[in-house]
Amino acid sequence: MRLEKEILLHVGAVHASAEPAVIKTLLGSCIAVCLWDPAVRVGGMNHFMLPQGSSNGPQDDPARFGVHAMDRLVGEMLKLGAAPSRFIVKVFGGASVLAMPGLGGHIPQSNVTFVREYLAREGMRVAAISVGGTLPRQLRFFTETGKVLVRRVVTLRTQERILERETEQRQIPGEFGDVTLFRSRRT
Amino acid sequence: MTATILIVDDSATMRALVRGALEADQHAVVEAPNGEAALATLAGMRTGVDLVITDVIMPQMDGLSLTRALRDDPRFAATPILVLTTEATPAQKERGRAAGATGWLVKPFHPDTLRRTVRQTLAERG
Repeated sequence: MRLEKEILLHVGAVHASAEPAVIKTLLGSCIAVCLWDPAVRVGGMNHFMLPQGSSNGPQDDPARFGVHAMDRLVGEMLKLGAAPSRFIVKVFGGASVLAMPGLGGHIPQSNVTFVREYLAREGMRVAAISVGGTLPRQLRFFTETGKVLVRRVVTLRTQERILERETEQRQIPGEFGDVTLFRSRRT
Repeated sequence: MTATILIVDDSATMRALVRGALEADQHAVVEAPNGEAALATLAGMRTGVDLVITDVIMPQMDGLSLTRALRDDPRFAATPILVLTTEATPAQKERGRAAGATGWLVKPFHPDTLRRTVRQTLAERG
């Protein structure tokens, strides 16, 4: 039996592999998108949530950080020789874990709405989707076959841990990239 | 100062975000989904563009190959090129500088920062 490399993906991370690997993650209200190119057997996953605000203040559109998470994933796939026209797209997450006290279903729903709109705009057809509900999801994505195993997390303690981690994560403002100008300014 | 700006990015969503930021400053925007399409777009334009904003990782022709192709063409040798990318390491930026890019912006970008950089780049061009 061949042992595949296992990668654990935390929120904010992206991983793509051209070698057989298992990318694992644990999702509550967050979203994970799995992309797979069957022609070159390259698979990649991201794990993201929209922040409440950004480093420029809450008036900024948090969706731009979702766009960034998708942009990074597509970029990592392209670097490994995958082609967007062949992508098989699977979407997971957006659960209202423990009913997200005081927040209703707004946060997970906004993550789901974002990713649906993004994929539609990019012309990426979704092959499989498992979103919403109240139970977190544990994913195992096999980059060799494109198969994704989903297990619902029923242990209350694990649910609480996920909720706590995601609530903390949501408070962290999104950070923007820097600017470098190569040419010296004319005087 | 308003300008005609070519946005090159394989993501339609990303192009829309960049377009929105630039149109708020009354710039005219032209779009292309990769380097090859950008060269075809430029070839079909009578007056060219004042500035190119390009992603790096794209299918067909990437942003650095596009930058080199433009620098090799006397019509675009002096056109400012801003790279807008998720690639953020000093080595990658150095490759951009060597290819002939004018500047390097790391995504995610803030619209105000992009507008300010565009204004500065256009002003330096004179």
